[in-house]
Amino acid sequence: MMTNDAQFELAVSGPSGVPVLRVEGEIDVASAPGFHAAVSDLIGQGAKVVIVDMSDVSFIDSTGLGVLVSAEIEMREEGIDLRLVVTRPQITRLLELTGLDEVFTVLSNTNDAVKI
Amino acid sequence: MTHAMWAPDTVGAGPAHRVELTLAADAQMLFLARMTGAAVATRADFDYEQVEDLRLAIDELCIKLMSSVNGPARISLSFQWDDEGALEVIGTRIPEDGPSTNGRHPQPGVAGPTSELSERILDALVDDHGGDMFGETQQVWLRLKRQERLA
Repeated sequence: MMTNDAQFELAVSGPSGVPVLRVEGEIDVASAPGFHAAVSDLIGQGAKVVIVDMSDVSFIDSTGLGVLVSAEIEMREEGIDLRLVVTRPQITRLLELTGLDEVFTVLSNTNDAVKI
Repeated sequence: MTHAMWAPDTVGAGPAHRVELTLAADAQMLFLARMTGAAVATRADFDYEQVEDLRLAIDELCIKLMSSVNGPARISLSFQWDDEGALEVIGTRIPEDGPSTNGRHPQPGVAGPTSELSERILDALVDDHGGDMFGETQQVWLRLKRQERLA
C-alpha cells in the first residue's frame, strides 16, 4: 500500500556538535506522533542549540506545527534554542500565515542555523 | 441522511461537477483525501498555489472530523465545483457500529495548540468554512473561489 511515512534522522552537525533532526516527507496526523518522539529526543541531547531541518518536508499540517510549538515551549523552559531550517516556499508561507515565523528562528540552511 | 443537512450554496452558477470519496476515519488514510483534493483542484483549473492550499485545507477539514471520533466511523467527502471556479467541499463523519475494518482508530490528535492552528490555517487558506453537528453525525465544509490569472 502506498504510504506517506515521514523519515526522521538525528545527527550531529558542525564542530560545535549541534544536534540536527533531519525530517523528510509529510508530517500529518498519522506521522505526528513519530515526529513528536523524534523532536523530544533532541531535548535529551544536552545541547543549548538544536536544529530541526525541514528542507525535505513536503507537507506539514496543524498537528505537525503543534508538535513544533509544544517543543519550542518546552525547550525554552529548559534554556534550549530551537531553530528551524526551511527551504520550501509552501512551508515558509504556512509559517507566515499562522504567525509562527515570529515564534521560531527560521533559517534557510543548516550552516547558518549552526552559526548563529 | 446527508441530503437533509444544510450546506453552503455557492456552487451552481455554472455546470457542476462532483467527486465523492468515502474512507475510514483513520489517520493513515488522510493522504488519500489530500490527493483527491489536489486532483480535483487541478481539474478545476486552480493554480499551483491554490492546489497546495486546498490540499492542506482538506487535511485540516478531515482533522476536525477525526478529532472527535470515539469509535469506528467513516468520512465522506463531497467535492463540487463549477466552470466559474467556485469549489466547495463538504465532509461528513458518519459513526459506524461494530469494530473498524482494520482495527485502527484515528489518532486523538496532539494536545496543545493544534486546534487553534487548524482554525488559523483554514481562515487563511479558504474563503469560508464552517461546520455543525446533526445528531451523531458531524459535518464540516469549506469553499474556495479560483483566482483569476493575469493575462
